[in-house]
Amino acid sequence: MSIIDVSNLTKYYGKARGIVDVSFGVEEGEIFGFIGPNGAGKSTTIRLLLSLIHPTSGTARIFGKDVTTDGPEIRRDIGYLPSEVYYYEGMKVIDLLKYSASFYDHDCTRRMHALSEAMELEMNRRISDLSYGNKKKVGIVQGLLHSPKLLFLDEPTAGLDPLMQRRFFDLIREENARGVTVFFSSHILGEVQRLCDRVGIIREGRIVEISDIRTLQQSNYKKVNVSAEGLDPTAFDLPGVTNLQTEDGSVRFFFKGDINAVLQKLGGTRVTDVTIEEPTLEEIFMHYYE
Amino acid sequence: MNIFLRELKANRKSLVIWSVILILLILIAVSKFSAFADNPEMLAILDSMPDVVMDAMSMRAFNLTTVTGFYGLMFIYFGLMGAMAAAMWGSEIISKEERDKTVEFSLVLPVSRSRVITAKASAALANCIAFVLITWGVSLVAVRPYSPDRAFYEFLALEMAAMFLIELIFLAIGLLLGCAMKRYKRSASTAVAIILMTYFMSIFSVMDERLDFLKYATPFRYYDAGELLRRGGMDGVYLLLSLVIVVVCVAAAYVTYNRRDLYI
Repeated sequence: MSIIDVSNLTKYYGKARGIVDVSFGVEEGEIFGFIGPNGAGKSTTIRLLLSLIHPTSGTARIFGKDVTTDGPEIRRDIGYLPSEVYYYEGMKVIDLLKYSASFYDHDCTRRMHALSEAMELEMNRRISDLSYGNKKKVGIVQGLLHSPKLLFLDEPTAGLDPLMQRRFFDLIREENARGVTVFFSSHILGEVQRLCDRVGIIREGRIVEISDIRTLQQSNYKKVNVSAEGLDPTAFDLPGVTNLQTEDGSVRFFFKGDINAVLQKLGGTRVTDVTIEEPTLEEIFMHYYE
Repeated sequence: MNIFLRELKANRKSLVIWSVILILLILIAVSKFSAFADNPEMLAILDSMPDVVMDAMSMRAFNLTTVTGFYGLMFIYFGLMGAMAAAMWGSEIISKEERDKTVEFSLVLPVSRSRVITAKASAALANCIAFVLITWGVSLVAVRPYSPDRAFYEFLALEMAAMFLIELIFLAIGLLLGCAMKRYKRSASTAVAIILMTYFMSIFSVMDERLDFLKYATPFRYYDAGELLRRGGMDGVYLLLSLVIVVVCVAAAYVTYNRRDLYI
């Protein structure tokens, strides 16, 4: 059974598009990356799954339960870290965390302290006195303290310094190793690449691709870089070549198809340098966005 | 229970501010009353005022030289303050979560929206009850120098019950506005606008007989101090109307809040 099962989910805000006909599934124990530029519909999707907003059409199920009817029950086992965290300003960190913990059936005190220590959180300060990064830390502890089975992370690293980012990723990996499923939304591909097993790419409200991160990198595209004297760029105008760029004596392009076609071309040329490599996710991603 | 307690705490400051204003109002008013108390000259001055002014201020129904009559005149201020405070509490307790963007925290907790409304409305209701009790208590202390008779205490109790009912009505209206309005920033100002509108309607409906039908549209006429004093009780029709308003508003609040998208 999928942990998250979304089918034909559509959300319009009046006439404005939120997401259109989005379908995907997330399996138990995986880290699913959800990438797309700002305004593509990432947060809309998450808010639908958390039943903060209701779908225009389509359905979404989490743990096999419908999000519009069983929201409270589903949310018992969900942790959420929004891109920007807002809490009751007048409260102290410790009181807010205790308040949050009071909504769950089991005792979260121990874990709350362990997490706070890991994230170096000062528990006795007032929320209103905290910096952006420190509020984010409160968010991380609050989102994890009840040992959720499913985590929603929406642009989670914004505002965290590099050291804290690393600690945060370690924390997420630890959680994942314990069997926690993670839904990781981001527009920073590096972090998705580091953490996720599978990715869904969303663009203008629609899913354009869902695939294994490895297949996304390997199966399709090669990045080819050729340097040679008197190189004629038009010679590489083969079927399967995209993004052909020339730069003083070297040619760069992406190639999809049988790599032997390129090798044959190269065979007749005297090259000074040649590299054929996996494109980064970033480059693949840009490709989807053109 | 946790939401209820947190809201009580969060709203304590507002209750204190409203209470201080109310206490000041009572103290100042009662000190002014010392000029009226058992003073027949005052009666003569009042008698010389034009009828319209007397109607508008609803001063005709009362003998202002007695503490009972004076408290009759005071009632509209209690009613207005109670209405304002209750409407603000009712609307803000819901809409502030969207204004401060804390819904992304508070409604991701494993609670249903209905449970959130119930807890928050109860906290606002507790504030309303406290507000009436404070008004009552301070009044009892403030009028002591005039050693009022038993009839005064009975009338005061009736007034306080009426103040509470006015609070209930506007609490329900405020709650509905907070739950239903898309522009959450406007829910409190809309509530105040409704209060002022119904208040002026109550004045006009007294001044001009052709506008008498408006009395059903304004809760301030349901609990008119002059009528309360004359009848020694409340009118069943108005009580029923109040009940209908409260039930309809609260039910509509639950339905709309459960259905609508939260604004983030």
